[in-house]
Parts: sequence; C-alpha cells; structure tokens
Amino acid sequence: MVESSLPVLSLLVVLPLAGAIITFLLPRRLAVASRWVALVFSLVPLLLSLYLYVLVWTAPAPTATPGYLSAESLHFEEDFEWVPSLGISYTLGVDGMSLPLVFLTALLSCLAIVFSWSESRRPKEYFGLMLVMEVGVAGVFMALDFFLFYIFWEVVLIPMYFLIGIWGGPRKDYSAIKFFIYTHVASVVMLLGIMGLYFQCRDALGHATFSMVEMAKVAPTLAPGFQCAAFAALFFGFAVKMPSVPFHTWLPDAHVEAPTAGSVLLAGLLLKMGGYGLLRVAIPVLPAGAEAAVPVMVVLAVASIFYGALLCIAQNDLKKMVAYSSISHMGFVMLGAATLSPIGISAGVFQMFNHGLVTAVLFMMCGVFHHSAGTREIGRLGGLAGKVPVAATVFLVGSLASLGLPGLCSFISEFLVIYSAFVSFGAWMWIPVSAVVLTAAYYLWAAQRVLFGKFRVDLPESERGRLEDLHISEAVALGVLIALIVLFGLFPSAVLDMVNPVSAAVGGLFGGVG
Amino acid sequence: MMWVELAWLIPVIPLVAFPFILFFGKSIPKGGGLLAIVAVGAAFFLSLFVVVDVSQGNLPVHGGGEGEPAGGGEAVHAYESSMVWTPVPGPESPLEVGVHIDNLTCLMLIVVSLIGWLVVIYSVGYMAHEEGKPRYYAEISLFIGVMLGLVVANNFLMVFIFWELVGLCSYLLIGFWYKKPEAAAAAKKAFLVTRVGDILFLVGIIAIWNYFGTLNFGAIQEQLKTMLGEGALDVQMLTTMALLVFGGAVGKSAQFPLHVWLPDAMEGPTTVSALIHAATMVNAGVYLVARSYFLFEHAPDALLVVAWIGGITAFMAASMALVSNDIKRVLAYSTVSQLGYMMLALGAAGYSASMFHLQNHAFFKALLFLGAGSVIHSMGTNDMREMGGLGKKMRLTSLTMLVGVLAITGVVPLSGFWSKDEIIVSVFHSGNWPLFLLAVVTALLTAFYMFRLWFMTFSGKPRSKEVDHAHESPCIMTVPLLVLAAFSISTGFIGTPFWPRFQEFINWGHHGGESFGATSGMLMAVSLVVALTGALVAYLLYYRRAASPDRAVSSGAGRAVHTLLTQKYYMDHIYYWFAERVVYGFTRVCDAFDIRVIDGAVNSMSDGAVRAGGRWRRSVSGNVQHYAVGIVIGLCLLILLLKFALPPLDELLGGWPGLSRWRWWEGWGW
Repeated sequence: MVESSLPVLSLLVVLPLAGAIITFLLPRRLAVASRWVALVFSLVPLLLSLYLYVLVWTAPAPTATPGYLSAESLHFEEDFEWVPSLGISYTLGVDGMSLPLVFLTALLSCLAIVFSWSESRRPKEYFGLMLVMEVGVAGVFMALDFFLFYIFWEVVLIPMYFLIGIWGGPRKDYSAIKFFIYTHVASVVMLLGIMGLYFQCRDALGHATFSMVEMAKVAPTLAPGFQCAAFAALFFGFAVKMPSVPFHTWLPDAHVEAPTAGSVLLAGLLLKMGGYGLLRVAIPVLPAGAEAAVPVMVVLAVASIFYGALLCIAQNDLKKMVAYSSISHMGFVMLGAATLSPIGISAGVFQMFNHGLVTAVLFMMCGVFHHSAGTREIGRLGGLAGKVPVAATVFLVGSLASLGLPGLCSFISEFLVIYSAFVSFGAWMWIPVSAVVLTAAYYLWAAQRVLFGKFRVDLPESERGRLEDLHISEAVALGVLIALIVLFGLFPSAVLDMVNPVSAAVGGLFGGVG
Repeated sequence: MMWVELAWLIPVIPLVAFPFILFFGKSIPKGGGLLAIVAVGAAFFLSLFVVVDVSQGNLPVHGGGEGEPAGGGEAVHAYESSMVWTPVPGPESPLEVGVHIDNLTCLMLIVVSLIGWLVVIYSVGYMAHEEGKPRYYAEISLFIGVMLGLVVANNFLMVFIFWELVGLCSYLLIGFWYKKPEAAAAAKKAFLVTRVGDILFLVGIIAIWNYFGTLNFGAIQEQLKTMLGEGALDVQMLTTMALLVFGGAVGKSAQFPLHVWLPDAMEGPTTVSALIHAATMVNAGVYLVARSYFLFEHAPDALLVVAWIGGITAFMAASMALVSNDIKRVLAYSTVSQLGYMMLALGAAGYSASMFHLQNHAFFKALLFLGAGSVIHSMGTNDMREMGGLGKKMRLTSLTMLVGVLAITGVVPLSGFWSKDEIIVSVFHSGNWPLFLLAVVTALLTAFYMFRLWFMTFSGKPRSKEVDHAHESPCIMTVPLLVLAAFSISTGFIGTPFWPRFQEFINWGHHGGESFGATSGMLMAVSLVVALTGALVAYLLYYRRAASPDRAVSSGAGRAVHTLLTQKYYMDHIYYWFAERVVYGFTRVCDAFDIRVIDGAVNSMSDGAVRAGGRWRRSVSGNVQHYAVGIVIGLCLLILLLKFALPPLDELLGGWPGLSRWRWWEGWGW
C-alpha cells in the first residue's frame, strides 16, 4: 500500500475537468489559446500519473500475495461518504491492474491533444470535450464504488457522441447516434446487474453499500444462480464496449466517421473500459458466474480474434481496417480473461495497455495519410513511402507492433495469452493462433499497396492532399508512442511486475496458483 | 577476465550501430557503411576471441572459477549467463534473457560474423551508386546483430524473438527497392510464408514451456536426462514438440512445402541474397534443429520426418534449378537444395556432418552469390541467356566462382567434397535406401546445374552487347571474393576423415560422433564420380554444345517435365489460388455477412423500435373508454404475473431479483 498526503487520484479527475471548464468558458476570440489550456491540464495529470506509477513500482513488494482489492494491494485510496443512506460513497483507489490503464489514459489524452494541435474547427469545444473524456475514463479506472463507476462510465458517452457528431465524416449523424444508443443500452443492462448485486449484497451484509471492496468480499458467496444472472448482465455491458463479436458493429461505423483524435481515444481508451470491467469487476466479484460463462467467453473471444482478422483483409478503407483489427486484438483480452488463470489475466491487462499504444499510432497514421494524400482508400493509393518517408516508416512500425513482432510491445502479451489459452483450452486454440498469420497478411498487404510500388493517388487534382510528411506536433505525439512501444517491448516487466500480484490474487479465486 | 564473459556484447555492438547509422548515416562516410564495417568487424573479432576461449576449454564454472580439465569430474562444455527478463505469475519459470556459448554457438558466431563482415565490405562497392545507403547499412547491421543474438540465445523464447527479427530484416531488405512492385510483393510473401512456420514454432514453444516449465536449453536437457533415467519420458509428446519446432525451421530454412519464398526473395540486392538468403538467416532453421537436437534424439519419428522433408526439398529444388535462366534464382534453388541436404543429414543422425556442411556451404554459397553480384553489377541483368564469354572480361570473378562451383559440386579436395561425402555416408548408414538415392541424385543434379551456370555465364561467345561493356569489379568487391574463395578451398580440411578436428569439436560434450566405417572410401569414390558425371554432362551440353538441351525439351515427356519444372511444380499457383480465391473470397463473404446480417440485425432492431412506436402512437387515441379497457387488462395481467410467474423465476435465479418477496396476496387469503 502506497499513500500520499495529497488526494492525487482526485486530481487526476479534477484537473482535466477544470481544464474543460476553462476551455468552454474562454471567450471566442481566445479560442486558439484553448489548446494551451488543454495541453497544460492534460500534461499535469500525465506527469502525476507517471509519478504515481514510479512510486508504486519502486515501493517494496509485500512478502505474500495480497488478496484481491485488499488494503495492501490498493494505493492512494480516497474515501468520502456521499449518500450514506444508500451506501454510496466517493471512493477512488488504484492497484496494479488499474494503474497502467490510468497512465495510459493520461498519456493518450495528452498525446491526442498534441496530435490535433492544428485543429481549427471549433477548437474550444474540441479540446474541452477531449478533457471531459479523460475525466470519464480515468474515473472508471479509479472508481472503487459501483455507483461512481457507473457515473463515470456514462460520462464518457457524451463527449464521444459530440466528437463524432460535430467533427465527424459524411455519415456522422448515423454513426454518433448508433454509438450512443448501442453502448447506452449495454450500460443500462450493466446497471441492472449492478443493482441486482447491490440488493443481494445488502441482504447478505445487512447494510447497503456500493463499495466494490465490500462487494468483492461478499458477492462470491452468493447463490450461483444469481451470480450467473448478474454476470450475464455485466458481461453484456462490457462485451459491447470491448467490443466482442457479435456486438461489434457500432465500432467500425464510429471509427470511420470519428475525427482522428476521437478514434485514438475511442480505440485507445474506451474499449479498455470493457476489458477492465470484465477483469476488475465481473470476473473476481462473480467467480461462479465467470466459471459458468467460460465457454461463452472462449467462443466469443476466438470469434472476435479470427473473424475480426478476416474482416480486416476485406477492407478497402485503411481506417476501417484498423478498426476491425481492434476487435481482433481485444479478442485476446477476452481470451486471456476466459482462462481465469493468473498468466491469462496479466497478459490480458498488458494486451489492453499495448493495444492502446499501438492502435493510437495506427489511427493517427490513418489521419495523417487522409490529410496528406486526400483519401484513406487503399485502392486509390500507392508508393507513399517515396513521398512521405517518415510517415511511411511510422505506419510500418505501428503495423509491425500490431502484428505482434517481438521486440515491440504486443508480442509478449499475445504470447502469454496464447500460452495460457493453450494450457486451459487445449488444441483448438490453433484457431486464434492462425489468426496471427492473417494479421500479418492484412497489415503487410496494406503496407505493400499503400506505401510501396509506384506512387499514385487516384483522385482528381482538386481533392488531393499536399503530400506533406509529419508535422512537428504529429511527430512529437507519434515519436513518444513509438518510443514507448519499443520500451515496453524490451521491458515488458515494467507493466507485468505491476499487474502480476493482482492477477495472481484473481486467479487464486479459481484454484489457479496464487 | 575471460573473453567469453563478454559474449553478450557480440550481438549488442551491431545492434547499437543500427540507430546511429539510420539517423546519422548521411554524415558518416559511405552512407554509414564505415560504421557498419567497424561494428560488424568488432563483433567478428570478439567472436574470434570467444571461440578461442571455448576451444581451449577456457570457461568459467558457475560464475568465477576456471574450467576444469576433462578427467577431473565433469568437464565444462558451455558458458551460460542469464538474468530474469520478465516474471510471470504461476508455477512457470520467469522468462529470461541470457547467453549460452558452446561449440555449436561458436561455429555459428564465426560463420555469421565473418561472412557478415565480408559482405558489408563488399557492399561498399556494390551499393556505391544506390540511393538510401543509410537505410541499407542500418538494416544490415540490425540483421547481423539479431542473427548473432539468435545464435547466442540461451532459451527458446529468445531464439524466437530474434528469429522473428531476422525475418523482419529479411522483409525490409528484400523490399529495399520498394518502388519495384515485385520487390514489395516478394518481401510480403517471404514474411507471410515464414510466419506460417513461425506459428508452429510458437506453439511448440508453448508446449515445451508447459511440459518442462522452463524454456532454458540447459534446464530442459537436465530434465530430459532425469525423465529418461526414470523412464517417464512421453515420447509422443516429445515428437509433437520436436515437429512443431521443426515447423519453424521449415519456414525459415525454406524447406518443402514452405520453400516458395526464397527464390522470390532474390528481388533484394545481391549482397542481401548472399548474406541473408544464402549464408546466414536461412541456416537458422538448420541451427534450430541442431540446437534442440536433444528433443529430436529421443523422437525417432520426428527425425524421420526431418530426413524426408530434407531429402524431398534437396531433390525438388535441385530439379528446379536445372531449368532456371536467372543466375540468382539458380543459386537460390541451390541454396534450398543444400539446406535440404543439411536437414537430411540431421534426420539421418548425421549431426556433425550437417553442421560441417552448414559451415562449408555458408562460405562457398556466399562466394557464389557475391560472384554473381559482381557479374550483375557489371552486366546490369540477371539473365544468363544474355551473358556468355564473360570469363575473359572478368577473370578474377570467373575464377573465384569456379572455385565456388567446384566446392558445391563436391570435387576433391574442396570443402564441399568433405561435408557432402559425410552426409552421404550418414544417410547410407541410416539404412534408408530411398533417401540415399535422393541424396545421390541430388548430388548429380547439383553438379550439372552449377556447371551449367558457370559455362552459360563465363564461357562461349557473348550473347548480348552488354558483355562488351562488362568489366572487372573494383578491389573492394574482389578482395572479399578472394577471401571467400580461400575459405571455400580450405574449410573442408579441418573435417576430413583423416583429421576430424571439426567433428571432435562440434560433438564435444554431446554426441558420441558418427563412425566412419570402411564404406567411407567407397562412398567417397561414388560421390566424386557422381559429381564429375554431372559436370561432364554440363560440359558437353553447354561448352562443347554436343547436343542442344532445347531440343530435348521441345516435345513429349521432356517438354512435360520442363513445363513442370519451370512452373515450379505449380506450388506457387496453388498457394496464390488459395490466398486469392479461398481466403480473400471468404473474407469478402464475411464482410458482406457482417454488414448485411450482423449489422442488419442491429439496424432492423432499431427500425423495428421506431415502427412499433409509430404503431403504438395510434393506440393513444384520446378515447377514454379505450384507456379504461387497457387499465383493466393490464391490472389482470399484472396480478397473474406476480402470483404465478415470479416465484418460480425467483427460485430459478436463486432468490434474485427478489421480486416475489412482497407476498401481497397472503393477507388477502389467497
């Protein structure tokens, strides 16, 4: 347990919120200044979260594996009563599972702001909404109270809805409303599960509470039938968010229309909320439900991985391809979760972290190509490497990271997921493994068509971009991401060391070796 | 301080050079070439010192003391040093990073760093007029670094990591001239085809980790020994693991049926073909099988598969080399064929023969490729039909290439003779007659197509105008050729039956070594006769023009065979058909399914909600009587629901959601 005299976790939520309010209130003639406000109010949380990360990482390890959500495993806890009569409190805290994701949130929010530095359409609202998004996502990863968790969960929908709806492409209205309703329906089902959990735990405990810590202690003792029903409700909410096949169709639509920074946050952070909910809440709190749901999770995970990869091959829009690849890669998170084993869970968290970094690079590059060539259509492009060599190199590195090249971050998480899946489920894990070849195929095929060969952009002269290579702000954001991709590829223990004790505790609930 | 303790630096030096050349190459002489030469040269000399240490048994024992001489207790045969890379939760050992230096490592270190160094030097001449030199030298340095990393790695996961990274370098360097569509396509093909093998290897690693709980070579060998002692060895499991690992080797070493990428890989610069696709990377598969020989030794079925795959590959590739007119492709097929030979030897328990051939082949094949590069550099074409008579113009190149041709053909006393003979001996001793036949026929074909290559290129009359302008290459290119020629002549002498120092060295610590019976002399004669026969036929057809090979293939069976060979046994066609029609077609179906069916269901649900709302709106008519009827019906339904449907539902859900807890009817006497 690491503590701090400052309410640091609250700062991670309050600072972006304050930044958002300031940008919204800026007078219109100072609209250009909003990006500076946004930068400052996202950079400070980033440094803060980095500081927390280092503090926890350097803290002496406890001698025994601490229990799940026990006082020893939680850091920087803040606990204030909010609505005592209903057992609602404002509780924040992080452990080894959430801290990497909190860091990822602060990082991607800041880099998304840097990347869209030259956004000229309503910059005030644009940057303000990105900060609101950071508030919601960071809150989800830190909340230790189910009520608070749900509020943050829903907060995220609003800025995303507007980001797609205002700054989106030609079909933005359809995509924005589809995104909102689809994921909102899922949240409501999730809320149903939370309420059921709340009432049952109230009966078992004798007092009402939304505290995750208390619920995690008592909920595993509840009737298996109830656990299955509640798990199903929570799982639906999380599976839509991840998203898992067959609840994934909102994702490509949303990505195709969303502005680049919106896509970065959507794929880099929002999807992680689903995986985090599954690993943090659904599985350890409702172990009997999780055990019963293993076959479902495996089938959906394998389908997401394999079917998602197949869909990528067929795409002609670069961004849609990257969107479908997210489905495929998030399938690895669910597969790791489905093993209910310490390695699988560790690898699942690490995979989320890595996917956040890698997919951010790829979505940024889709934006860069769209801007500099005038189109993202693979069939209309060719030989860009000769014109924009730096951008081409970055895209290639991102693709290689995404296809699981060793030395870059995603390899070790996918390897560990596949390992744990083979140990748990045996030979038919060949299906997700063979998807690794498909993944290489669609990335390299896309690279071959877009980057290599003879230069061409099949567009009338007026619609063509100016074929500019990376701007300085884009280069900074991408450079940081590439550096981290290499760093965590070479030193995966920087994340795994943090996650392992927590996943050992979760795996311990299932007779896995803790 | 022993040199071997610095072994970890060997891969690190070129790896560190990589970013410097990439980012600052333009301000380094020769576009970064100088730094590459220095870095790889340093790696070579360090390797040399390490090898001297190891060959003198000068090894530290478990962090400190001197290696004990053989006799006093168990001799130390390997140096190992490792640290934890990343821990995992659970009973498995943490993933580690470390170096393992033994005799096999030494062999590979010398081959990779020496040939790498010569190729980098040669590149200064060959790539002098190319654009993108920093990229070239950076990628070459990266390649040499990761290849050296592959051979010093002490566990399967590290091998796999470097394994994929050499594949990446191969991808990048095949596609060096990325504006050429063929180069981009070949690069992608190489990566994808080898990746098919790689996933087999990956699953093999998973199986090994799960079964042994560790990936460290030494630890696995210890466990195997214990298991063998207890008789607790699961041979079937071992066979599976061995074959999965072999799957990786099949991809990387271009064995049948995954050999199709290597001929296309010739789209890259010739220096790359020489280094990566002839002398080093493609040997990684053979090295892997040798490195994990402890798995194969106890799995005879796996060894048989290795032998057959090797034999089939050797023959098939040699046959395709007969009809190719592209000088680099002939050499590429020849490489595939010789790699098959090495696999065949491994499968036939000829461990040292295989390693010996690996070493010799690396030198003479690098020589042949660099010689071909010299020809291409001066001619500007790969097509041998446009060459001829180059011998007079490029004396040094033609003579050094002749050395290479004699070596690969197996003419006494050049290096290829000794190792090839040894392979044939070990296959003979395995008693597998079909494989022995394949090996001998392949030797015949090899002699034929190699001399065909040499005669078509260097002898006879010029067949195009370019020959008139041909000139000998500069010194920086011919000196590496001479060095390699010297090695191609001499490397065989360290492993002759009369002085088998190589075999003693490579078998040191592991194997009893293969015995050379009285059959050896007889088989030597056989292989020599076979080689000379092949050479003689090529001499008659392509030098004396005693008969026209074109006429033989213009009709009937000859034509059918010729078509089969030029079409590469139609394997590319089959793979393209599978990738384009089957896989891509299926993905299009999936795409349509996703849009129409899955998303269609989502949209029709929302449309349905809108439509139902529209219909529902009509029921809100403003007519109070309608409302009254609605209220009554609703009330009745509610009562029935609460009384009869909820209690069983609650029971089913284990008392949740507790809807029947309010037993309102009890007070009413129901």
